[in-house]
Amino acid sequence: MTALLEVSDVSVTFDGFRAINGLSLAINEPELRAVIGPNGAGKTTFMDIVTGKTRPDTGRVVWGETATSLLSMSEAQIARAGIGRKFQKPTVFEDQTVRENLRLALKARRGVFSVLSWRATAEDARRIDELAQEIGLTDRLSHRAGDLSHGQKQWLEIGMLLAQDPRLLLVDEPAAGMTPAEREHTTDILKTAARTRAVVVIEHDMEFVRRLDCRVTVLHEGRVLAEGSLDHVTRDQRVIDVYLGR
Amino acid sequence: MADIARPVTLPGAARPAPPRRSFLREHPSVLWFMLILGIFTAGVTLLSEAFGIGLVSTSLVKILGMTLCLCLLAVAMDVVWGYCGILSLGHFAFFGLGGYAIGMWLMYARTEILVRQSLEAGTIPPTEREVSEAVASQIFSVVGSNELPLIWSFAHSLTFQLAMVVLIPGLLALVFGWLAFRSRVTGVYLSILTQAMTLALSLYLFQNDSGLRGNNGLSGLQNIPGFLDVPQSVISMWFFWASALALGLGYMLFAWIVSGKFGSVVRAIRDNEPRVRFLGYNVEGYKLFVFTLTAIIAGLAGALYYPQAGIINPAEIAPIASIYLAVWVAIGGRGRLYGAVIGAALVSLLSSWLTGGGAPNIDLGFYRIVWTDWWQVLLGFGFVLVTLFFPKGIGGLFDRLVRKQE
Repeated sequence: MTALLEVSDVSVTFDGFRAINGLSLAINEPELRAVIGPNGAGKTTFMDIVTGKTRPDTGRVVWGETATSLLSMSEAQIARAGIGRKFQKPTVFEDQTVRENLRLALKARRGVFSVLSWRATAEDARRIDELAQEIGLTDRLSHRAGDLSHGQKQWLEIGMLLAQDPRLLLVDEPAAGMTPAEREHTTDILKTAARTRAVVVIEHDMEFVRRLDCRVTVLHEGRVLAEGSLDHVTRDQRVIDVYLGR
Repeated sequence: MADIARPVTLPGAARPAPPRRSFLREHPSVLWFMLILGIFTAGVTLLSEAFGIGLVSTSLVKILGMTLCLCLLAVAMDVVWGYCGILSLGHFAFFGLGGYAIGMWLMYARTEILVRQSLEAGTIPPTEREVSEAVASQIFSVVGSNELPLIWSFAHSLTFQLAMVVLIPGLLALVFGWLAFRSRVTGVYLSILTQAMTLALSLYLFQNDSGLRGNNGLSGLQNIPGFLDVPQSVISMWFFWASALALGLGYMLFAWIVSGKFGSVVRAIRDNEPRVRFLGYNVEGYKLFVFTLTAIIAGLAGALYYPQAGIINPAEIAPIASIYLAVWVAIGGRGRLYGAVIGAALVSLLSSWLTGGGAPNIDLGFYRIVWTDWWQVLLGFGFVLVTLFFPKGIGGLFDRLVRKQE
């Protein structure tokens, strides 16, 4: 099985600070993967590199069966290739309704003229209803996204991610600011999504990671410190050192 | 096994297509706007000198027609700024370029008619060359030249110059926008860049050898070749109707563009550009489309405006004009098309009233407020007050009204 995403020996420096230092990582399809690590380990920078926001100094990032390099593609091209991203801070379009937000994300042609000539179809409406059901926002479809609670915004963003129908979902701290019940629901959504596609979750909360019950990659100082099941990595002495301090 | 007998339902077929409501039904403000515009046009027609009881003078008809063109320009500005978030301080330049493009034909064709008349009085019929030389010296003697500049090569052709009305602003916006958006210049830096473009353009046009008569500009534009015998009272009504039609069509076009999914993308770009990129949209393409389309509409509005004004000169394109345009839209209310119309109409009509000597000066005893001097101070205060107390502009007041009704 070839990997869907392969990051090899990537380094990036910001003003002399090595945020990523020889990082190598492969994600398969389908797969659910949790990426953990202390603050400043390079988790978010890793996502920035994959999604084209940050260009690495060295290294390779290749995608899909054709092993296309993502480094020469724009953010929009990478997104269209099938990589979706959920940001740490929920970023939905607050001025627009939940329905409009989902419609923006819904997989469709993205060109200027295709969008100009776009017309609502029954299929789109069905998909939006389905997604709204999945993220529990059915009765809020016509509300402004800005009026949603923090947890609901998180879900809306997850819904938008699913609407894009990506092959790889990069999810940055999906459970931040959620109640325990909301967290559980989020876990279910992510696990369901990971049955058919690759899902990478960045998370701080060990309890949440445990519930995801998946392979875990521990980052530290911009490189992979350990990889394996959660029990395996938490028994690793180096991981204990990093998390608990020396 | 009763299931087998059941007709197969395709996914999605279970639900009927959403009822297709008409565009106007879904956007009642557009219908209201069209109604008001129609009543206004009919009213002015009935009160005009040419087709009505003569209560509205020809010069007032011209001012009203010009105001309609400015409203169309403001609607374009609102789309690019209020909806797409690009604070362009160059859209008045596109407006002026449209005016120059049509002005070249108006001036050339009319001068040609006059020249032919005077040459035909002679015994020998003039050659084409003589006519063209005489026209050139008529038009360019003010800048000390008697040669027709290269850019006037097709000025005799109405079709060509009409094409230029669209092409010159459109191409300038396309090239400028492509360079700016591709380099991801945004926010205040983009505003400064558009302002610099406007300044460079007006400084260039001020030069005598720019080929557009320097600071003299183009004049006599109110005389329409082919209709030189028609009185101005009638011509002014033609332009008034054309301006009203252009505003109506332009308003519909923009209302349609900003209402659907395209409008949703554009507003999303305004609110969070990087996020839209991560959804897979080519943000630069959208901005470029909006910037160029609004520049073209601005050029068309200018081409209707300047024949009514009668004269265009580089001072019209000066950077301050584009800043005023932004002020109109801000006062009227950004992000709603009728707001831009209200702002442009109110401020420009108020300005022509106050600076045209229509308003009585106020004698305070120790000081006399002369409105031609104090008008700009008033505008400045008005702008500050609106920004502080009505951040959504005058159009925002409609929201409060609607909310109260609910």
